[in-house]
Amino acid sequence: MSADLDPAIGRTEELVVEAREAQRSRRPGSLQRVGDHLKREWQLYVMLIPTVLWLLIFLYKPMYGLQIAFKDYSIFRGVAGSPWIGFEHFQTLFGNDQFLRALKNTIIISFYGLLFGFPMPILLALMFNEILNQTFKKSAQTIVYLPHFVSSVIIAGIVITAFSPSAGIVNTIMGWFGIEPIYFLTKPEWFRPIFVGTGVWQEAGFQSIVYLAAIAGVSPTLYESAVVDGASRWQMMWKITIPSILPTIIIMLIIRIGNMLEVSFEMIILLYQPATYETADVVNTFIYRQGIQGGQYDLAAAAGLFNAVVAFVLVMTANTISKRYSRTSLW
Amino acid sequence: MNRKSRNREDTMRKLPLTLAILGTTAMTAPVFAQELELPIVDEPLELTVHMHWPRAQGYGPGGDTSKIYPVEEVAREKTNIHLVDQTSGRNTTDNAEAMNLLLAAGDLPDIVGGNLIKQPVNQYGPEGAFVPLNDLVEEHAPNIKAWFEEHPEIWDAIAAYDGNVYYIPYLPDGKYARAWFVRQDWLDALGLERPDNVDELHDVLVAFRDQDPNGNGLKDEIPFFVRDWEEVLRLLNLWDARSTGADVYHEFYVNDEGQIVHPYAQEAYRDALANVAQWYDEGLIDPEVFTRGSSARDYLLGENLGGMTHDWFASTSGYNVALADKVEGFNFIPFLPPKSASGQRIEENRRIPMKPDGWAITYANEHPVETIKYFDFWFSEEGALLANFGVEGKTWNMVDGEPIFTEEVLGSGQPVNSQMYLEGAQVYRGYPQDYRYEWQWTRDSAREGIELYDTEDLLVDQFLGVSFNQDEQEVYDRYWPSIQTYMLERQQAWILGSGDVQEDWDAYIEAINKMGYEDVLEVMNSAYARQYGG
Repeated sequence: MSADLDPAIGRTEELVVEAREAQRSRRPGSLQRVGDHLKREWQLYVMLIPTVLWLLIFLYKPMYGLQIAFKDYSIFRGVAGSPWIGFEHFQTLFGNDQFLRALKNTIIISFYGLLFGFPMPILLALMFNEILNQTFKKSAQTIVYLPHFVSSVIIAGIVITAFSPSAGIVNTIMGWFGIEPIYFLTKPEWFRPIFVGTGVWQEAGFQSIVYLAAIAGVSPTLYESAVVDGASRWQMMWKITIPSILPTIIIMLIIRIGNMLEVSFEMIILLYQPATYETADVVNTFIYRQGIQGGQYDLAAAAGLFNAVVAFVLVMTANTISKRYSRTSLW
Repeated sequence: MNRKSRNREDTMRKLPLTLAILGTTAMTAPVFAQELELPIVDEPLELTVHMHWPRAQGYGPGGDTSKIYPVEEVAREKTNIHLVDQTSGRNTTDNAEAMNLLLAAGDLPDIVGGNLIKQPVNQYGPEGAFVPLNDLVEEHAPNIKAWFEEHPEIWDAIAAYDGNVYYIPYLPDGKYARAWFVRQDWLDALGLERPDNVDELHDVLVAFRDQDPNGNGLKDEIPFFVRDWEEVLRLLNLWDARSTGADVYHEFYVNDEGQIVHPYAQEAYRDALANVAQWYDEGLIDPEVFTRGSSARDYLLGENLGGMTHDWFASTSGYNVALADKVEGFNFIPFLPPKSASGQRIEENRRIPMKPDGWAITYANEHPVETIKYFDFWFSEEGALLANFGVEGKTWNMVDGEPIFTEEVLGSGQPVNSQMYLEGAQVYRGYPQDYRYEWQWTRDSAREGIELYDTEDLLVDQFLGVSFNQDEQEVYDRYWPSIQTYMLERQQAWILGSGDVQEDWDAYIEAINKMGYEDVLEVMNSAYARQYGG
């Protein structure tokens, strides 16, 4: 019946069936099929080349060097010429209390970073979306993006000054309420809040761009019909915006979980002190002190490999859970 | 277990090469040492050089290898040996990274020179990457030989674990580095004498804290401040403990029994640190000492807040000129280290007599004899003057037998060392530095301080380091970084008052022993005995 009313629908189906039939009857060899495919879509493959090259040169080729994690590496003898020693470096690592402490700190700091740092850009993006005055919106966005473009060294300088017991703004404000100044950066219990807070302040604005882009992609028709139905802005946010950007949020979360162990250690090096190692020392700073400064590249490679394996497991787990419960996944 | 045999195999593989080189030298070697003859070769000989050091990444003015140093031009004329740049890692300023790039690439130039070469040269020399210099120096380098005959302990100190010497070091001259400085105008304002012992020092610092020496009505003075927080540890000397054994922080030292120990595991340290913590608690030490950083001196002196410090002679004296207009009556002068609780007066910090910088001959070099003769040239009187002062007649002249910089150099407004770096003098080649070079442009106030320090025998011997063999290196690498981390953690905690050093001491010693402190001491001492003949 519908076919009578709209002949085009049936017609399309017919065309598809016809095309399939034609394909089937031709039955070309697989090689020929690939050739045809390439001929048709070659522009796409050309565009793919740089990325593949990048992957091969910067990610796959260096993997060759990963073997030094299992070797007694000497620069002069080279990767191939150094003798194998099995899991000795891993034994050294796990026999070291400071490595275990660094691992614990990494996980805790990352977890806090995730807990406080992950929702913040989403909130920011939602807030920006609700601002109607364009000038105010643009300037507010610029202000929150700005810290991202400032080098870590300068950010660390700002943090050290802000938390200084004599001249820092934090202690000055506390002084108005009669609180004794605290030398924050030498107190182990204060390191994580300061570090995580700095990270959120520095990156939240810039990370909100992804979500803003996702929000911009939500079809305006949804909002239009919601307005017709008399929905409030609050309801529109909850019922339209958030569900629409949920896949983006989940993908970002999975990526974020994969990077859990990659705490921005240059910031930690700039902010920590022996007095705060207890809570501040992370795997990467441990590698830096033990491996790079001490020239033990093989040990550093072992720690790095361990990091990568953990990250892989984390990503796989997050992806599987997400696939099962939300049907959104990276692959 | 089979790592060692594997190693030997490796050495064996490279042995013929080394033997071949030694063989050729032995054949051409004269029986006795001779004067250096110039030119070294009749036909110009080009040698490639890796020269990576803080002031220039490459062998040319400021790292511009398309230009030739004026000093190099003269050296070419005299020796007929032409150094040609072949520096790796010219795009990085990290010397260690450049060295690693060079070694990993494997294409070694004839000469490897620059900053921090001792460790890699002594590690990879025995593996065959560098030529042992002992016989070459003995037979072809009379000037180098003469210098080291006067300083045998330095020859021991530069040797690798196999007993061979693989590089000719840069040998700094001059004795003093950092000194104690006090605001003499503050002392005058409060009617105080310069502190001569630890108790007087305490009283002065208390007075600085309480009696408003800067006269602004606020209690904002910082009695004792430092730029690098580690300099606070020099206060340990005042209670007869050590903070380090060399010109780097936290280093081992040789105790009175000739054993290598670490300062932070001694009972004297426990008691001294308790006192430092006490001073910190009393507010005599900058409360922000751990985070103030390198601008501390600029800020605290410029704002008229800081009373006393321990810092470099030359640069600290400079503030008297720089702040003359800004801070009225500003007079920041060096004073003798206060006597310790037991009456000792020491200045722990001094210039180290030998640097891990210099140059070495690689296995790729086909002219080791000519090269060592070339190295020897820089130890001859003529070469040393060239290396220290630049080209005669251009940057300096001989006046009454003394090399004196020209007015142009001294009055140009540029620091003399920066000018020398562009001339090709004071480059980190292996050469003996001449303190006369620096004395000429040292400010009067610093000169007075140096003369003051020269009135007493203040300096203590430096621990010049040991060269580990592979097994020792492994023990050291495995245990030491963790132990040092732990020591510093506890040290800061005690100074900051979150923990009491006297109460925690037994647990602390137990912890470092559990972490392998004894094993580290053992390899340190075995390497030390081998290297310095124990």
